[in-house]
Amino acid sequence: MAEIIAAIDEQGANTLLDTAINILPAQSSSGSGNLGPFVASYSVTATLTNGDVDLIPPDIIRLVDLRVDWDLHLSFGIDLSAILPDFCLPQVCINIPCVGRVCTPRICIDWPTITVPVSFGDFIKATGDFRLDISLTGGVWRVQAVIVGVPNLQFGATTALLLAAIAAAVTPLLLAIPFIGPFLAIAVDAILLAIGIAGVTGLLGPILTPFVSGLKIPIYSQPQLFPVLPAESAIDPQVAVTIDLIAAAVVNSGEDELVLSADISA
Amino acid sequence: MSLTETETAFASVHEDALNDVITAFCTSRPHHLAYGSPAFTPVTTVAETAMPAIAFPGVPGGIQWRIRLSIPRIDLFKQTTPLPPELTLGPGQFSAEIDVELCIECRRLKIDPKPPRPPKGREQDKGTPNDPPRDDRRPLSELTCFKLRVFAIGHIEHVLASTGEDAIALAVDAVEIVDIKPDELEAFLECFLFLILQAALAGIRLPLRALRAGAFQLILAVGPLIDDDRVKVRGLV
Repeated sequence: MAEIIAAIDEQGANTLLDTAINILPAQSSSGSGNLGPFVASYSVTATLTNGDVDLIPPDIIRLVDLRVDWDLHLSFGIDLSAILPDFCLPQVCINIPCVGRVCTPRICIDWPTITVPVSFGDFIKATGDFRLDISLTGGVWRVQAVIVGVPNLQFGATTALLLAAIAAAVTPLLLAIPFIGPFLAIAVDAILLAIGIAGVTGLLGPILTPFVSGLKIPIYSQPQLFPVLPAESAIDPQVAVTIDLIAAAVVNSGEDELVLSADISA
Repeated sequence: MSLTETETAFASVHEDALNDVITAFCTSRPHHLAYGSPAFTPVTTVAETAMPAIAFPGVPGGIQWRIRLSIPRIDLFKQTTPLPPELTLGPGQFSAEIDVELCIECRRLKIDPKPPRPPKGREQDKGTPNDPPRDDRRPLSELTCFKLRVFAIGHIEHVLASTGEDAIALAVDAVEIVDIKPDELEAFLECFLFLILQAALAGIRLPLRALRAGAFQLILAVGPLIDDDRVKVRGLV
């Protein structure tokens, strides 16, 4: 049996991981991706909130409903001429006495390409299994919970809400375009139809998945030369012991517990 | 039965690891185990603690003394290390085995023929080179020491470390020295060392954080308890 044993039950593990996840810094990324037929550039920031911990022997910590809060800023261009029908003011001719027949030229509107900026924030939930990883690197013992595989992200109402946000962002931009009045509803509907639910999930999935798929949650980090007491005076220098070995496991001895064990030497 | 039982966090340290931590403490701060009067220890250093001499009329500078304790070897219940029959290690107790060296500076005092006067220092009282050698007399000054192996039993108390953290200290309940005659002398020495060991071991305060190698936060609710060769604590994360 190990010289030092420390254990927490699932309730304790919930508290531990609440703290460990809360102190993880916000993660950010940027790039470009497909939003339906459009190419969108984006920047996104995400923060994590712990879900419910389920300890599963021998070495799995399952986090149920791990929450990812994200803020997305995206921008994409829409060539309206690809969506809206051509629109021309017909030639009008009138006969003017003493002048003769006068005609206006036929005027066709070239629908512009507009850039749509959208800011949107929401959260997703994911359930993931984390395996315990123990390392001694640079004189520091670390135990981390490292996610196994890529979890399935639960988007829920997010996709519909993002489509609504796109519609809200597009409408004022369209209203500023001359002669678009009769085509406004057509344009908005066409844009949203072109993007669709699949377009939103197709953009959000690759953007948000890396925030979870590479997740490592610190559980234990202590120097191998472990300080028992700090230096307190000239006659009371630091007291330290050496941590020779660290092990971690999920053990069931009546209930599931996360157990860390250590061997030390003077 | 789970480790945490009705609490959410648990930690235990085996006696081997406890002895490692005590050894680290005593090796880094040996002055907790070595005390001496000015002739032996003029000033307190990391190695030794300076103490006053034992004042006694007619002994200029007082009686010079030194005591050195070995690093205690702790055995937590259940008993692993043999004990003298006078001691029994009960549940919740520890035993300690400590070597003690006691020394005094044994000096020959010169009687001053003049009326008593205030002392002027030790140099006047050490005799002179012209004193006739006599084989049956003690040397002018002689370091006289003896060593004892002392066994103690005690319990662990919850204290605060110098850092303000939850800690444990070793509280001595009884001391036994084997085979000293007469019995009164043994009792006297046991009482003397009982006082010394209580004070010395109480100064060795080991943070519970260290006894769980820094794993998990633990707000103490149960313990520290001694059981199965371990110190155990339980509490909240």
